[in-house]
Amino acid sequence: MNLQVENISIEIGKKQIVDDISLRVNSEQFVGILGPNGCGKSTLLKSIYKVLSPNKGYVKLGEMDVLKEKSKKIAKHIGVVGQFNEISFDFTVEQMVMMGRTPHKKLLDSEAKKDHEMVEQALKTVNLLAYKNRSFLTLSGGEKQRVILARVLAQEPKFLILDEPTNHLDVKYQIEIIKMVKQINIGTLAALHDLTLAGSYCDYLYLLKNGSVVTYGKPEEVLTKENIEFVFDVKCEIYQNPVTGHIGIAYL
Amino acid sequence: MDHHSSKGFVQSKTFLAMIYSGAIIILLLSIVMGVSLGQVDIPFSESFRILVHKMFGGGEIENGSSVNIIWSIRFPRVLMALLVGAALALCGAIMQATVQNPLADPYILGISSGATLGATFAVLIGFGAGTIFSQFGLAFGAFAGALLASVFVLTFSSIGGKMTSVKLVLMGMVINALFSAFSNFIIYIANNAEGIRTITFWSMGSLASARWSEIPLLTIIVLIGIIYFLIQSRNLNTMLLGDEAAVTLGINLSTYRRIYMTITAILTGITVASVGMVGFVGLIIPHLIRSIVGSDHRKLLPAAILFGSIFLIWADIFARIILPSVELPIGVVTAMIGAPMFMYMLIKKGYGFGGN
Repeated sequence: MNLQVENISIEIGKKQIVDDISLRVNSEQFVGILGPNGCGKSTLLKSIYKVLSPNKGYVKLGEMDVLKEKSKKIAKHIGVVGQFNEISFDFTVEQMVMMGRTPHKKLLDSEAKKDHEMVEQALKTVNLLAYKNRSFLTLSGGEKQRVILARVLAQEPKFLILDEPTNHLDVKYQIEIIKMVKQINIGTLAALHDLTLAGSYCDYLYLLKNGSVVTYGKPEEVLTKENIEFVFDVKCEIYQNPVTGHIGIAYL
Repeated sequence: MDHHSSKGFVQSKTFLAMIYSGAIIILLLSIVMGVSLGQVDIPFSESFRILVHKMFGGGEIENGSSVNIIWSIRFPRVLMALLVGAALALCGAIMQATVQNPLADPYILGISSGATLGATFAVLIGFGAGTIFSQFGLAFGAFAGALLASVFVLTFSSIGGKMTSVKLVLMGMVINALFSAFSNFIIYIANNAEGIRTITFWSMGSLASARWSEIPLLTIIVLIGIIYFLIQSRNLNTMLLGDEAAVTLGINLSTYRRIYMTITAILTGITVASVGMVGFVGLIIPHLIRSIVGSDHRKLLPAAILFGSIFLIWADIFARIILPSVELPIGVVTAMIGAPMFMYMLIKKGYGFGGN
């Protein structure tokens, strides 16, 4: 499904965090949002997945008005992998992934054969089927995030939002998560902090500073040394990575 | 360590069935023990016969003092323990889920200090003779105080933005401090030794005053609470994941949190009004059961309710028999048994709040 975000403004307290941002994600497109800490990328995403309500603007997913629709209906369409966060109570990996079925279930429904199949399938996709009965809290950060991804997959989303899903993860897990998401191949909007990673995997990028979009376009159009210096305040040179052929950034 | 063999809480359906049926058998046995043991020991077989006769009419019994002790005094008391234990264990599990904090217990919303203030007010100042409230006295004061405190906590923690679990816990502590200060103030200026004794004993909890007349209403309320929360199990599970994750799964926590807390406050308030403060049940029983069956509320709640009942029935038995001719307050007993049990769980078992 395609996502259309129009003129979103968000104030928290008296502070303008997001200032009139519009963006689009076509179906099957992987779109990245880049920007320094505090630029409003997470806040923007939170308003799209209904944790915050924006002061202005609207969000449309296909024909659905995301901001007006009930969270339960949105949860059937949008899957969210959030920032890595700890929980205090433990579940098995299987129970954790099964929670992805929540939006499709009524309170008293029990898990049907289909739900178990979806959970198995999701665990297979993230290569964690063997961990089904493990306790979630004993997993490593990368494994936990893969379980969350499996939970989101079990949700059968038509659109994905990734809110800095690879924060605090080692490079191996960062690449693993992004690759898995790419394979799912549905419209995806991701806030990322690794520019090289974003340059290699995103189809389209939006660059944010102080709550506004500075520029947008294909990775090679956005990731220029002028833009990076303006937004992140670091000098760099851009080159073509001789091994991968993707954009390389040498910070100076 | 073999990472693929999971210890602790992954069980087959047969294991769960064993836990539940085991708990029900233990509960029934505990009821019979509970009516037999006390200052006057009555043989189990006789107690059993008297109970069966009174409930189902079968068999022959001689009318004597044992019938009176068992049917009029001990049986309502055991039923009270059963109901209060179930309610406290249930409320503890719900509170831990709603504030996403393993330290939560049923009294977290300022209920304990609210109830104490209400009770203190009723005993030392009174609602005024002749008013409708005066005849209910201490129990009514405790219930009203408990509700007032939780209303304060719920209202103040939702002013100026979203009600978060951290705000709730902090507001609970603040209200606790404030209400305790008021109770102490009343106690200090009242200078009424007899009244202060009443309050002190009440606050340590006792089932001694349990009467048949209270049982039916309490049964209905506790049953409604149990059924309601069993239905809500799926939402409660999602709550444990945190506010944001719950919203992305389509569950709007702030609404549910308010409803769950209100119901829990009412349930806890009623138990406080009936038996006073009984600490530790609502904290340790949910943790203990979580260490056996895991965090899934569909399994956790029924088991916690059963074991909460068993625990309180036994705590009450100990309160009656541990010292000859003196009855201990039940709150003292639950803390004395509960605290070491909890320590053992934390240290020896490496308990991880639902897993290992």
